[in-house]
Amino acid sequence: MKRIFLNLKIALGSLGNFKLRTALATLGVVFGTFSLVVVGNLSDSLALKTEQEIANLGNNLIIVVSGQVRRHGPSTPLISRATNLTPGDAEAIANNLPAAARAAPSGFKAFPVRRGNTVLKAIAVNGVTPDFGEVRNFEIAAGTPITEEDNRLQRKVALIGSATAEKLFGEENPIGKTILIWRVPCQIIGVMAEKGADIAGNDQDNQIFVPLKTFLRNFVNQENVNIIYVQAVSVEAIEPLRKEIEALLRVRHGIRKEMKDDFTVLDLKEVTALKSQAMGLISVLGRIAAAASFLIGALGILSIMILIVNERRVEIGIRRAVGSRKRDIILQFLLESSFISVSGGIIGMAAGFLMSLAIAKVLGYPATVSVPGLLLAFAASALSGIVAGIYPSFKATQIHPVDIIRS
Amino acid sequence: MTPLCLMEDVRKTFRMGDDAVEVLKGIDLEIVPGEFAAIMGTSGSGKSTLMNLIGCLDVPTSGRYLLAGREVLGLQDDDLSVLRNAHIGFVFQSFYLLPYATVLENVLLPTLYREKTVAHTEERAVELLRLIGLEARMRFRPNRLSGGEQQRVAICRALMNDPELLLADEPTGQLDSKTAAEIMNLLAKMNERGKTVIVVTHDPAIAACAKRIIRIKDGVIVDEQAA
Repeated sequence: MKRIFLNLKIALGSLGNFKLRTALATLGVVFGTFSLVVVGNLSDSLALKTEQEIANLGNNLIIVVSGQVRRHGPSTPLISRATNLTPGDAEAIANNLPAAARAAPSGFKAFPVRRGNTVLKAIAVNGVTPDFGEVRNFEIAAGTPITEEDNRLQRKVALIGSATAEKLFGEENPIGKTILIWRVPCQIIGVMAEKGADIAGNDQDNQIFVPLKTFLRNFVNQENVNIIYVQAVSVEAIEPLRKEIEALLRVRHGIRKEMKDDFTVLDLKEVTALKSQAMGLISVLGRIAAAASFLIGALGILSIMILIVNERRVEIGIRRAVGSRKRDIILQFLLESSFISVSGGIIGMAAGFLMSLAIAKVLGYPATVSVPGLLLAFAASALSGIVAGIYPSFKATQIHPVDIIRS
Repeated sequence: MTPLCLMEDVRKTFRMGDDAVEVLKGIDLEIVPGEFAAIMGTSGSGKSTLMNLIGCLDVPTSGRYLLAGREVLGLQDDDLSVLRNAHIGFVFQSFYLLPYATVLENVLLPTLYREKTVAHTEERAVELLRLIGLEARMRFRPNRLSGGEQQRVAICRALMNDPELLLADEPTGQLDSKTAAEIMNLLAKMNERGKTVIVVTHDPAIAACAKRIIRIKDGVIVDEQAA
């Protein structure tokens, strides 16, 4: 231990002569560990963010959309319309498929909303059943939820999002007040808890919920819904349940074998897959850049080590004369080169750590520390130092005390 | 008494391209424990080569060389290192202290490569430095010391592993005559304490300090005399 310490001290004294060159030599390792740590932390952040988003949308959620949609990451543009997805379909799913815990049919459309002189031009109005909150993880901050009775009696009641409440009422308590949605006066019975943006970036706090039957009768005057949210009993049940729903709806909609579905069943893994793919690509590119940096770093350290070995020919000769074996010399210089690279690596890791925190903050992702990423960065920096030290330390063993003393 | 160094018909040939140059042409030499010997010769006489062989820095091309009863010819590089570490202390003309280490660390250098760890190494190093009067400067870097002081530190380093043989190559070559005399006195003192001392020099005044003078010329020992 003492020996390592003394050797390092001597090495540092020698490196002091080449401060700038040493700094430049380690730059590659600095960038290498930097990008490894950034990529590691950010992909963990994104995974966590996606997980949170999915949980935010609803646990074990399957979404049945009317018509055919093109799956394109978070956005799902409609490519064909259909008008035959009904609340009855939702009931059939909930009642006939044991893997479905709940099914919440929902219709939505944007309407102008007015209260006194305040007019909001287009607020999403959702017709929902009492199960909606449970299935979609929506909670009520104040007031009462929409009940079965509200729905059955087509009561003109509404739950409003926290942002909508803020816009319409400011500091005032909205509960019990009446607002005009399109041309339907509705009494506010509750305010939703804050939920933030959804996976596609829409503000979920700026919308209104009314009983589904009220919505269908008084707002859109139709029988069909846009969407059915289905909660599976478990994560494992999602995949089989999707197939069961497809089969059930094909029968209910009378779709013959060769015909295409007039609905689309989405599972959130698919919706987030594209995002993960993008991050996966960034990770791969980051790792390639890191590998290139480590290569450059190793070459830099190689050159500085050759310089150091040449500068310390006398020292090596003396060490050999007083009894160091070749393997002692090899060990010494490998230790020195890995010390240089690990020092650079630690700087890069610290910088990468700060950078990933900053990026996560800007993107609004949760900040995470990828421990495997840090370990990989550390190992890679140590390894590049060792690899860089092999040739110089071998050269060092070629220095013979006799050559030194003869001068 | 069993000799510390025993050479029988030692020859050393160097290859210079296609030519083979025989530098040592059959050396017979016996050094017994406790001797203080000087090896004298002009440059090119082969004295440096002889010193390298005695010091196990190099191996003979042919002949026999026993150091402390061990045959050196045929030993591997690492075995020679171990042998040097345990049995020989070197003192060089240019001192060769490590510039980035302190005086104390320089003295401790041979202990880094010792096969067995020995207790109280640092105390022993400090004790040696006290003996030469440099204890107060043991935390200094060598460049703050005078030439004579550096050479005394180098002698401490040579003594650190308590070797039987002190091998000094022109130890006073870079020192003024007064300092040179001090260094030779120090070597003589070590000899009195039981160390075998061999000094390699071209300077008759330095050789005169030794009890035995071995003259070498053109690769053979030409004259031996007790001083």
